[in-house]
Amino acid sequence: MLQAISRVTTFSKNGLSRSLPILSLSNGRYASSDPTCKKEAPIIENDAVLALPEERRMQNALESTIVVPVKVDLSPITGVPEEHVKTRRVRIYQPPKNAMQSGTNNIHHWEMEFDNRQRWENPLMGWTSSGDPLSNLKIQFSSPDEAIEHCEKNGWIWYIDVPKTEKDLRPKSYGLNFSWNRRTRVSTK
Amino acid sequence: MLRQPLTRALALSSPTRVAPVVPAARRFAEQVSVQPEKVEVFIDDKPVYVLPGTTVLQAAAQVGVEIPRFCYHERLAVAGNCRMCLVEVEKSPKPVAACAMPVMKGMRVKTNSDLTRKAREGVMEFLLVNHPLDCPICDQGGECDLQDQSMAFGSDRSRFTDIHFSGKRAVEDKDVGPLIKTIMTRCIHCTRCIRFASEVAGVDDFGTTGRGTDMQVGTYVEKMFLSELSGNIIDLCPVGALTSKPYSFAARPWETRRIDSVDVLDPLGSNIVVATRTNEVLRILPRTNEEINEEWLSDKSRFACDGLKRQRLVTPMLKDSRGNLTPVEWEDAIVAAARALRDCPPDKILAVAGDLADAEALIALKDFVNRLGSENTYTEQYFPTGGSGTDLRSSYLLNTKIANVEDADFVLLIGTNVRFEAPLLNARIRKAFIHNETDVALIGPKVDLTYEYTYVGDSASLVKDLAAGTSSNEVLKRLESAKRPVVILGADQLKTEEGAALLAYTQELALRLQDNLQDKEWKVLNVLQRTASQVAALDIGYKQGVGEALAAGPRVVYLLGADGGVVTREALPKDTVVIYQGHHGDAGASIADVVLPGAAYTEKRATYVNAEGRAQQTLPAVTPPGLARDDWKIIRALSEVSGAGLPYDNLDEIRERLSQVSPALVAYGDVQANNYFAQARALAKSLQKPVSGKLDVQLKQLEDYFMTDAISRASPTMAKCVQAVLKQKTSPY
Amino acid sequence: MLSSLRSGVQGLWRVSSRALQTTTTLQHDSLFVHRDTPEDNPNIPFEFSTANQKRVDALLAIYPEGHKRGAMIPLLDLAQRQNGGWLPISAMHKVAEILNLPRMRVYEVATFYTMFIRRPIGKYHVQVCTTTPCWLRGSDAVLNAIKEATGCEVGGNSPCGKFSISEVECLGACVNAPMIQVNDDYYEDLSVEDTKEIIEKLKKDEKPKPGPRSGRFASEPLGGLTSLTEEPTGPGFGLQDGLKA
Repeated sequence: MLQAISRVTTFSKNGLSRSLPILSLSNGRYASSDPTCKKEAPIIENDAVLALPEERRMQNALESTIVVPVKVDLSPITGVPEEHVKTRRVRIYQPPKNAMQSGTNNIHHWEMEFDNRQRWENPLMGWTSSGDPLSNLKIQFSSPDEAIEHCEKNGWIWYIDVPKTEKDLRPKSYGLNFSWNRRTRVSTK
Repeated sequence: MLRQPLTRALALSSPTRVAPVVPAARRFAEQVSVQPEKVEVFIDDKPVYVLPGTTVLQAAAQVGVEIPRFCYHERLAVAGNCRMCLVEVEKSPKPVAACAMPVMKGMRVKTNSDLTRKAREGVMEFLLVNHPLDCPICDQGGECDLQDQSMAFGSDRSRFTDIHFSGKRAVEDKDVGPLIKTIMTRCIHCTRCIRFASEVAGVDDFGTTGRGTDMQVGTYVEKMFLSELSGNIIDLCPVGALTSKPYSFAARPWETRRIDSVDVLDPLGSNIVVATRTNEVLRILPRTNEEINEEWLSDKSRFACDGLKRQRLVTPMLKDSRGNLTPVEWEDAIVAAARALRDCPPDKILAVAGDLADAEALIALKDFVNRLGSENTYTEQYFPTGGSGTDLRSSYLLNTKIANVEDADFVLLIGTNVRFEAPLLNARIRKAFIHNETDVALIGPKVDLTYEYTYVGDSASLVKDLAAGTSSNEVLKRLESAKRPVVILGADQLKTEEGAALLAYTQELALRLQDNLQDKEWKVLNVLQRTASQVAALDIGYKQGVGEALAAGPRVVYLLGADGGVVTREALPKDTVVIYQGHHGDAGASIADVVLPGAAYTEKRATYVNAEGRAQQTLPAVTPPGLARDDWKIIRALSEVSGAGLPYDNLDEIRERLSQVSPALVAYGDVQANNYFAQARALAKSLQKPVSGKLDVQLKQLEDYFMTDAISRASPTMAKCVQAVLKQKTSPY
Repeated sequence: MLSSLRSGVQGLWRVSSRALQTTTTLQHDSLFVHRDTPEDNPNIPFEFSTANQKRVDALLAIYPEGHKRGAMIPLLDLAQRQNGGWLPISAMHKVAEILNLPRMRVYEVATFYTMFIRRPIGKYHVQVCTTTPCWLRGSDAVLNAIKEATGCEVGGNSPCGKFSISEVECLGACVNAPMIQVNDDYYEDLSVEDTKEIIEKLKKDEKPKPGPRSGRFASEPLGGLTSLTEEPTGPGFGLQDGLKA
């Protein structure tokens, strides 16, 4: 669990540092490198100059950013039936490594999945049917924070499932195979 | 930071994020104090600081660069024979094998240079020269390292012109038992199976025979791979040379739906992935959890899943006038059961929980029986009631915790065959034995634990002498001088007459050692339970030792998956009504008057608490067959009909109830440190009676291991294993 | 040879579509798995003889404690010699037992080295070198002569059970080509007649004289020495007068 937290913090840090420089870079370039900007006289909009104080106040109010309340509940307007909002539990997890393979690509993200509901075999073709429209919904996120936010927006009950998968680093050595005073000496060499 | 969840139900499921993990912090502190200076190396020009002696491959992994490999495996010794991990190192004339090359200061590794890619391409080409082109009929297809890496690193064209296939190597297949199918022609000689057998499983039966192009991996003689961890070599094999025999030609990996769950066939609660298709469990694979199973899985947990399709109770049943169980509707069965329960005097009701019962069903049954006015809820497994009994959690758990066993420097096993009672705990001890020079001593019958140990004897009085500190055995000195000793008592001992005294002596011994330790966080006392349900049952407050309750002559017996054969028809009065609720037609169902079909662990969202006290939940992978239902829901329905309705209607509410009983039961994934050792020790003093018996364990040989519960007894694969092991015993090899 | 000819013909036949060239399949003449036979199975007991047991102890004494497995090859060789030139599986088990090793580790070594023979062979193991120098000097004829004389094929045993023939790579006696090795002895500079005579003698269990058949003592030139023919000079040869004592 502790790891989840630390992972979250690293992710959010990365996100921050990734987004900030890009922003500042574009501004700087615009200001310094575009010569046309420097030479032109400032453009004065007639409407702004000639506006009445009331009009200006209103204009200012419209221009300022809108503050969105932190908690957003989309469930009333998403059109998702209530039973699929209230009764579903979302599991947020990192996909486990396939035990059959050693590669670890495509498992460094976070996923959410819904609880597994009843399936039945279609008597005609033997295919498996499900009455659950969310059964195949697996959404990927880059951090558990995003996943949690998404769930809370949609009103789903979530929980995080993080088994400890990172192990203590123990330097491996080929020489240990032949070690003369340790039990790591392998019989196969 | 994560926000705290909003609802109570959420708080139930994720309350664990605040507790700091003490052992990790301790270990970290130690590392800091003794850490040698780190060296800087550059992987693809990214600087990384690593400990001296780290291999290039490990250093690359630290900065997220994955070097392709076949023979290298993190949990096995370095072999360095596949050459797939060749990378370019600046100023080195030749590419180096990253898996075996230790880093040097300032080393600049290029993992994606032309030279590296050419080396990989060349290795791929050599590997594929003798690899058959049978991917379409190979079970590894779709999850094959060779396939993936030849796509990623191999050449885009072939220089192989021998279309008559006269030059491809062909190797005879080996017969290594009913679990592993071998197609040795596909083998690329990575030797992972050999190293696993030799290092982890401790059964040195694999090796390479012959030389040059005729070299082959095998057993030379016809011999079964006699290990309880044999299935792991299927996972380890990077190609399709070793595949699962029960799963052969069953499915492709992309067709299956994978559900992360938890195993319940041994007390450790290994994490698993259940692969299903068409509402059928096809196979079970391990899921990495460093705190429990690393990435291994024992054979019973892996291969007993075909027992989930057989011998199932699919419909409620009632005993008819001729004494045969006949299928009925749920309504009839529930009414019949409720009537029996209602008409019975409360003190004549007996509820017995079996090996595979989940915490939700356990609490529902206990609440239900209590509401009926009875206190008679028992588990099949025995546990001494004297002293602190089950009031203090520390006296029935693995307090050291599975992962910490690795750090122990001396392990004393008392009356337990860890190898078959908890194979992955044994693998941990073996790992500690090999890598940390941990020594092991055993009191109990002499068994093969796959590593060397000091055999102390099998008399119970040895434990008493050790506890009193009067033993002249050198093991006592070793224990007392150990910095991190571990004492593990097997649950098999608790059911004997002297169980209480043995537990008391073990507590005395362990806590005396613990008090003298410098490391105050270290826990010495461990009790290894045999089943997945026992810890949760004891947490919830089930009583132990059905014997007395049976002797009292119950009128209604409610068996919750109790198939251990503790309750028999002979032991009951003639007119006793036996209600069996469970998922398999085993010992319990055969004596029942009313059968209520429940769900197996792959079919329900249920809580199980493992031997170290870690609550984990299984997730439903498939739907229960036929009319079978979730266990707690059956009990809930029954309570309604009997007029003693339980106050929870959904899973969140019943988990709320669980958290009232013990918050640890719903702290999923987390394990809480236990306290009150001193009190338990003081209370146990009264139980220290003289002991004279001999310690014995139930599972001595490999053939005993495979069939221990209702699921594995129903599994044909497990039956084949037993047969094969017995046959192997008659062979001279 | 035949197979390469066949594929060559096939190649010719398909020459219009694709010109293909194949190599012959190289297969070792012994198996790398064990099969129980009446002569070789783990139920046949194997014990070192008393004399050999002393040798075993002496061999083990060479290796330091913890590295006794180094004695594996000498022990296997001893067992093979005791058992008439081949190594039964029970002997491998015995060696594993002596060295306290898993049996597989002994199987690995015994299958790796070609001089451990894991099938019953005749009393005289005739190894014919057919590598280039011997082949140029007529080893094919020698091999054929041996085959005729013993009635035995390469890799097999003779009907009388006395001989086994192996075709081997260079045995390091190229100066004396062609040559054969019978058990531990080299017979060199062979002609077909010499070979026949050797086999005949062996059939009568007489031991032919090992060494070159050309009248040479060892590997010196056939027509006598061409250099270093004079008496060796004594000490002080070629020294300045001033340095002489």
